[in-house]
Amino acid sequence: MSRLKKLGALLVALLRELADESAYRRHLAARGRAHSAAEWRRFNDERLRARYTQAKCC
Amino acid sequence: MKRTIGWLLWAAVSAVAAVALGAVALRRGEAIDSMWVVLAGACTFALGFRFYGKFIAARVMALDDTRATPAERLRNGLDFEPTNKWILFGQHFAAIAGPGPLVGPVLAAQFGYLPGTLWIIAGAVLGGAVQDFTILFASMRRDGKSLGEMAHEEIGRLGGFTALVTVLLILIILQATVALVVVNALKGSPWGTFTIAATMPIAVFMGLYMRYLRPGKVLECSLIGFALVVAAIFGGQAVSQSAALAPVFTLTGTGLAVAIIVYGFVGSTLPVWLLLAPRGYLSTFVKLGVIFLLAAGILAVRPQLQLPAFTRFTDGTGPIFGGKVFPFCFITIACGAISGFHSLISSGTTPKMIARESHALPIGYGSMLLEGFVALMAMIAASVMQPGVYFAVNSPAGVVGATPAAAVATISSWGFPVTAAGMESLARAVGERTLFFRTGGAPSLALGMAHIFAGAGGRAVLGFWYHFAIMFEALFILTLIDAGTRVGRFMLQDMLGHVAKPLGRTSWMPGAIGTSAAIVAAWGYFLYQGVRDPLGGINTLWPLFGISNQLLAAVALCVATTVLIKMHRARYLWITGIPLAWLVVVTFAAGWQKIFSPLPHVGFLAHAAALQAAQSAEAGRLIFNDRLDAVVCGVFLVLVATILLDSVRVWAGILRGTRPTRLNEAPYVRTELGPEGV
Repeated sequence: MSRLKKLGALLVALLRELADESAYRRHLAARGRAHSAAEWRRFNDERLRARYTQAKCC
Repeated sequence: MKRTIGWLLWAAVSAVAAVALGAVALRRGEAIDSMWVVLAGACTFALGFRFYGKFIAARVMALDDTRATPAERLRNGLDFEPTNKWILFGQHFAAIAGPGPLVGPVLAAQFGYLPGTLWIIAGAVLGGAVQDFTILFASMRRDGKSLGEMAHEEIGRLGGFTALVTVLLILIILQATVALVVVNALKGSPWGTFTIAATMPIAVFMGLYMRYLRPGKVLECSLIGFALVVAAIFGGQAVSQSAALAPVFTLTGTGLAVAIIVYGFVGSTLPVWLLLAPRGYLSTFVKLGVIFLLAAGILAVRPQLQLPAFTRFTDGTGPIFGGKVFPFCFITIACGAISGFHSLISSGTTPKMIARESHALPIGYGSMLLEGFVALMAMIAASVMQPGVYFAVNSPAGVVGATPAAAVATISSWGFPVTAAGMESLARAVGERTLFFRTGGAPSLALGMAHIFAGAGGRAVLGFWYHFAIMFEALFILTLIDAGTRVGRFMLQDMLGHVAKPLGRTSWMPGAIGTSAAIVAAWGYFLYQGVRDPLGGINTLWPLFGISNQLLAAVALCVATTVLIKMHRARYLWITGIPLAWLVVVTFAAGWQKIFSPLPHVGFLAHAAALQAAQSAEAGRLIFNDRLDAVVCGVFLVLVATILLDSVRVWAGILRGTRPTRLNEAPYVRTELGPEGV
């Protein structure tokens, strides 16, 4: 059961990473800021700018 | 004792692999259980990972967990962040898994299931995984540098510039090829076209939702987006049955090509958060979900492979694309066995997030093996169809005849019986008007997947699953097109910035619009050429794409080999040298044949010469296109020959001692992270 729970937690963590939610949490923690709409937009713009300069795989 | 049990276990895995490979390779004249392919792949990949991957990690790279990775040394909470091994594995896999490993095996199935299956298994273990792993390792030791930067530093200026131009050209061919796959999947299909059209407003809604309504709630928004897309599939069925709406969404190939070209241009100039990013998130989740679903479906249904191990088309006379099994099977399946594009991902985000050096083994080597497994599933999906149906769907009208009656007569004469009534009934079952001449691989893959998914739910849901599969393929192909166009624009601006400074500024609107238009025009031209091609277009574009992708892999392996030599690991040169030599032989053989083969169904120039007798304007256009394709193919070969010769010059200099060995690794810093590295 605990293994299943661990697997579930890992899956949720993966989905959060793919959704950039974990990166956003790290961004807030690193800068000591609280979540706000403006902060998310700032983070998201920076993140997407970096991501969409790299080719996607075929 | 534990050690003995371990060895016994691996001996058992080896025995299962040998039996399964034997069953896949030696059975003739009977349908075989797809489980043999699954077992052969799973056991061989497990052995490859445990023994070959670990050998490279320990002996060749000497991965060192006491050494701080760039994620730790340059940690900034964004790009550089030590990340859990399995999370990064999933992220890397999601980044490398595109349409290539799904479409390539479906097209290569024209040779039978065996050549492609063996190439996927051997190619992934000895080539693809080695390339991904070595480039990831090299980039990780160089602060996450890109392939182009490493080529510049390790080989020289010429190598760096050649790598940049090669990537840009490949991007153009890639966009055109995958766009053609979508066009051929949606042509004359109001159900599919409506579903894909609906994903645009859904993506815009998601973009606005994440930006203004619930900022930061990406997972929640993606779930809503997925529910809307599934609703759009049902909506598409209603549209296809509506006398008023069906004609609006029934588009010709040309109409669809124009729509995709406009989409590519708009997508690359709009703010990323509005369209590209929401589609990107949605497509990533749908992609992972479908791959998981397909694996579960194959295990649950255990379909029988109906295609023979070999077909008569190994002799080069295939209807889907011309050319013999060697070299064309090996360039048709690139992603899934070895793909140069992966080297861009392995030297992109991933090396900046690795917490410990040893994690590079499961992430770099292991992810590629998983992609090989996806390719095997695609091969199974293609092979579960009756061969006659497979060829009726994938063969162009220009080869088998323009009417269903002519097509079934031609295909049946090859020894693959199929009837027009049977095809019509199948088309009706999946909600399409016809399934003849649907070249490109996507419709036949969707049919195979629907067959597997419906195995558990009955024929009544075949139409839903078929369109679900089409939606899944088109969704992430369009994501590739919009993102690729944007990346191409940045690369072009980067080059033009050396000529005129304002053109290099990505925020300067006239420059952005001009360069976007140039990139879209470049791939749009090849797409248009493919759509108008009487032989279906994919027969020209897919080999060009395969050659270019494999040539990029050759560039990556040149960089990896140079790094090994500079690390004084010359005795292990065979590890990158053998796949490099194989790729050079295969791609140069394929490239040479595509240009100079005297057979019109293989060689571009021979095809142009055969058309010269006809005096029509249409023939003139086709002749020009053939010559253009020959030039593009020639440019690829020259570019890679350049980087190869430049690399050989550098290797010879180092080995002779006439050239200084400067390893451009970041200096050693001891890690301060915990045992798991996070």
